[in-house]
Amino acid sequence: MDFTVSDVHDLTEIRLSGRMTFTDHNAFRSVIAAMDRPAGHRVVFDLSDLEFVDSTGLGVFFIAHDTARRKDLRLAMQGARDQVHRVFRAANLHGIIPVSA
Amino acid sequence: MASGQLYALDLGQPLGDRKVLIADDSLYDQRILSRFLHWAGITRIACVSNGPELLSCIGAFDPDLLVVDADLACADLLALCRELRSNPRWHDLPILVQGAQMTDQMRTLCFQAGATDLLGKPVNPGECIARVRYHLERRSMVQELRAFRERVGQDLGQARAMQLSLAPEPLWLEALADRHHLSIAPVFETSDEVGGDFWTAFEIDAERIGVFIADLSGHGIAAAINAFRLHTLLARQPMEELMEPARLLTSLNQRLSAILARGQFATAFYGVIDRGSDRLHYAGAGSPPPLLARAGGLSVLDSSGLPLGILEEAGYVTRSAPFRDGDALFLYSDAMTEAQDADDTMLGDDGLADLVAQALAEAPAWPLLWVMTRFTERFGTRLCDDLTALWIARQDVPDRLFPPSD
Repeated sequence: MDFTVSDVHDLTEIRLSGRMTFTDHNAFRSVIAAMDRPAGHRVVFDLSDLEFVDSTGLGVFFIAHDTARRKDLRLAMQGARDQVHRVFRAANLHGIIPVSA
Repeated sequence: MASGQLYALDLGQPLGDRKVLIADDSLYDQRILSRFLHWAGITRIACVSNGPELLSCIGAFDPDLLVVDADLACADLLALCRELRSNPRWHDLPILVQGAQMTDQMRTLCFQAGATDLLGKPVNPGECIARVRYHLERRSMVQELRAFRERVGQDLGQARAMQLSLAPEPLWLEALADRHHLSIAPVFETSDEVGGDFWTAFEIDAERIGVFIADLSGHGIAAAINAFRLHTLLARQPMEELMEPARLLTSLNQRLSAILARGQFATAFYGVIDRGSDRLHYAGAGSPPPLLARAGGLSVLDSSGLPLGILEEAGYVTRSAPFRDGDALFLYSDAMTEAQDADDTMLGDDGLADLVAQALAEAPAWPLLWVMTRFTERFGTRLCDDLTALWIARQDVPDRLFPPSD
């Protein structure tokens, strides 16, 4: 899995691409570290280039949600498709991380 | 001038307890080598002067490393090496052959005969110490690793047996299935190590049984420990909680949210087969979607829901589907849908549904066996994840000796 982080004002966009599996644990740590932002800050995960997510990858989104709660960030996601979208639907992830337009 | 200043070597691991055997017919060379070894902190040194002496002393002395002169008296060096290597006790012994002006061919022959390394003669102390240190450290690392693996292997073997015993006992399960006019065929295979798959069944009353399947996130020991915790939580559930699927998941979720670490969770599915109302009541927490086989065909159950352990206040929904005689429920862990074949093609939800549909068409009497055979053919038997699969079918009892009492 690869990822990029771009910051514009109070918005941080984290773009994930490739396959998100349990072998990417180092990248996962970095992704969560990229959420170290002040309270009220917006964080959006762009998943349009993400092809696959396994249960470990899913766990990262739960940690992201928990991190956003603790740091009082406004977390959202967009672009989930195919297998990723199916996994998220099964796990009701949109129930805790809103989908941004 | 102290040696430490001339050949400033990193001290590394202390070697004071290592034993080195020197085989050299020259007393002078024995002394020189011994001195170098002393500089390296090795004091347990024995010296022999010829082949027969070497062979007779080595057993009692039990060295960690042998330095043998290529021209050792009364010895054919190559035969000596081969003889030592043929003894399982010296299979891993570092054997350093020390020789002056050895030809390339001789050097190759030494290695082929089992020498570990070659030293020149005369050897400079720095090189001698460096090579001896290297081989001693490597040998001790390998020994430690081997001992650790054995110990952990035994521990994991025990843990794995314990994990397998969490699933319902076969005789109990058979009796339960019999009483409820069901056939329950389970497959529960742990991967190489322990993992987080878990399933169990409950008898609610004369007409209802509950079937619970879960997959704790992560792999290995942490996931297995959480599987044991989940088993304990379930064992403590009062009967009222087991009657209503959403209620059980809500209750489990509250407890797991409190005890699972950040990011840990369990996907789960709980179904209650109610023969009184000919229905299956069920609730899901993100488990792989179960398949329901009915006369009209195969349908997919909605088991969506927030996995257990993420949000304490999460809610779950009980859904329901008809479940009559002849109908069957197929539950499975994601090891099946995420399995990849030789071409790295994943089975997927659709692939699995196709497989099950084929099984019903081609082997209606033993569909799970058919599915698992085809699955193993295509994906092999080495699992990188626990695999759980359950086939639960309602069936009329063909020859009944006594009419039903209801």
